[in-house]
Amino acid sequence: MYRYDEFDRDFVSARVAQFRDQVERRLSGDISEDAFKPLRLMNGVYLQLHAYMLRVAIPYGTLSSKQMRMLAHIARKYDRGYGHFTTRQNIQYNWPKLGDIPDILEDLAGVEMHAIQTSGNCIRNVTADHFAGAAADEVADPRPYAEILRQWSSLHPEFSFLPRKFKIAVTAAENDRAAIQVHDIGLQLKKNDEGQIGFAVWIGGGQGRTPMIAKKIKDFLPEADLLSYVTAIMRVYNLHGRRDNKYKARIKILVHETGTEELAAQIEAEWAHLRDGELRLPDADVARITDYFAAPDLPARAEGWAELAAWKKADSGFASWVTQNVRPHRHPDYGMVTISLKPIGGIPGDASDAQMDAVADLAEQYSADEIRVTHEQNLVLPHVALADLEPLYRALQAEGLATANSGLVTDIIACPGLDYCALANARSIPVAQEISERFGDQARQEEIGDLKIKISGCINACGHHHVGHIGILGVEKKGAELYQITLGGSADENTSIGEIVGRGFEPEKVTDAIETIVSTYLSGRSGTDEAFIDYYRRVGAAPFKEALYGDKAEAA
Amino acid sequence: MSTIVWNREGVVEDDRWATVEGESAFVSMDEALELAATGGREIGVLVEPADDPARLKPILDRLAIIALDFPAFNDGRAFSHAALLRDRLGYGGEIRGVGDVLLDQVPFMLRVGIDSVETAHEPTARRLTEMRLPGVDLHYQPAALKAEPTNTYSWRRRAAV
Repeated sequence: MYRYDEFDRDFVSARVAQFRDQVERRLSGDISEDAFKPLRLMNGVYLQLHAYMLRVAIPYGTLSSKQMRMLAHIARKYDRGYGHFTTRQNIQYNWPKLGDIPDILEDLAGVEMHAIQTSGNCIRNVTADHFAGAAADEVADPRPYAEILRQWSSLHPEFSFLPRKFKIAVTAAENDRAAIQVHDIGLQLKKNDEGQIGFAVWIGGGQGRTPMIAKKIKDFLPEADLLSYVTAIMRVYNLHGRRDNKYKARIKILVHETGTEELAAQIEAEWAHLRDGELRLPDADVARITDYFAAPDLPARAEGWAELAAWKKADSGFASWVTQNVRPHRHPDYGMVTISLKPIGGIPGDASDAQMDAVADLAEQYSADEIRVTHEQNLVLPHVALADLEPLYRALQAEGLATANSGLVTDIIACPGLDYCALANARSIPVAQEISERFGDQARQEEIGDLKIKISGCINACGHHHVGHIGILGVEKKGAELYQITLGGSADENTSIGEIVGRGFEPEKVTDAIETIVSTYLSGRSGTDEAFIDYYRRVGAAPFKEALYGDKAEAA
Repeated sequence: MSTIVWNREGVVEDDRWATVEGESAFVSMDEALELAATGGREIGVLVEPADDPARLKPILDRLAIIALDFPAFNDGRAFSHAALLRDRLGYGGEIRGVGDVLLDQVPFMLRVGIDSVETAHEPTARRLTEMRLPGVDLHYQPAALKAEPTNTYSWRRRAAV
């Protein structure tokens, strides 16, 4: 893991002092709420429906046990005993007092964490594959590059007042687990024929009210040119991105309106000036950052193979959990364990202080002190010996963290919705809870197989409904909540935007509609090996429309 | 409401280019290009957010000062204009930030190559007068304002003292 050096520590301390000064000026009335807003946003502080909300950065979703314990401490001391892990691998607290926030930031700085640029019209927390450094299929660890981008983008003097927020994601595997095609910049780490590292560069993906899939503008950007090329993209966007309408201000609209080829040419022209300048990355610097992410020492634990087989035979619950939540590690004696934060009927992504402490202890004991946060709002222990899976499972069970539903119908992404959010038109959490209850039976979930349901409480799409196999969008119609359903979305290497299936459903009818969709799939699929998304891609929306609306099928 | 002009030395009194009773001494880019062609008086030009400052290239040595407009806190185009004027066009004269200039932007403005600011915002003027800037002196990226390299990574800088 990356560790702060003196420079990083001094920087974060100075940033905390700067924010403390800003809060003091706000509280004394020197700055108005209007002027304070962009300042607090650049440090992750929102004003929500009922209270301030603080979003803490978890760069590329990687945490140590010590850091997780601090997150638990903050939940306990300054909040109501829980935190909410987000779709951008961060954590947010829903109830801090503004006056406490500088102290919270100081506590965070003590474990090398911060809330810098977790909001606002600047370059946000850089995300990466949550299985980075453990997955068998990656070209190289993407996190060193995410860390270099994190550093370079921190308090960037030219790019802190962009037309709109800006999100960068990095993946290093063909199987894209970082959803790079729905980011402002998506970087896919790859090697060329000479074995050199570089990036395929995608720009202009995004969700919100105008979902768009990113366009590839460079097939192989050499590693040394990473910062100069990203600077070129940012400069062209800062100068030419629309500022007349916040809903048209993301780079996706600039790409769309300018044309991919023309914009790529502008970026290329800007880059020509920057390429050989100060931003060129020396090999030695990349190597030093990469060293921080060296794989932990994982001794051979071959005894786990036989033990695992015996444990699975003895306990079907454990067997289900291993099947759903454990993925092969690049070391054959180890696995990557997903800790579901989606208990049946629970709030997606929430964890209590006690649960966070427990995960910290278990990571220390079983996973080389490492924890990951996924964009699907779960946690991961990336390096667990097969021989430790059974005791780990027991310990997770005791904390209510052993739900065996990773990738299944109850592994739902949901935004906070109208229960917390000032932008929402409709509730998301209760919808997720009811669907989770309805489909909670383990055997039934497994029968249904891979199925991603994603729920947003408004068109800003924080719940990623556009890329859900089944997407649910809450809207407000004549003062009441109504839920539109989309089908066929996906955020992996075959990214697609879901299509609206028909008119929306009242809150009490959503779960029945999901049930109808699932039944339609189950009765129509060619076999258990045809997943929901594959079935949809084969047959399209017709059988679903027919089942949902019968002869009265009509456009929404 | 009184405006002040400020640079790193402190408040500038009786500045030649200060806004007086709402009257700006700056001319538009088009006017500047015309004036430069006809010769004569000193030129202070205002670059607005939608302008392309590269058009000034042929007349840069005729300019006494370039003002960059920050019409609102959330319009950050002038930060890129400053960077382009310094790094790309090699402009060495004074660059001033004008418009809705607020305290917390000033450290960023200095880093991209802006020398002075004009502000009518009273709390901002007070803090600038007291020389109490809210910036962070450690930087994770190079910028137009000269700063010291560090002994860590190539992209890091430390504010020059």
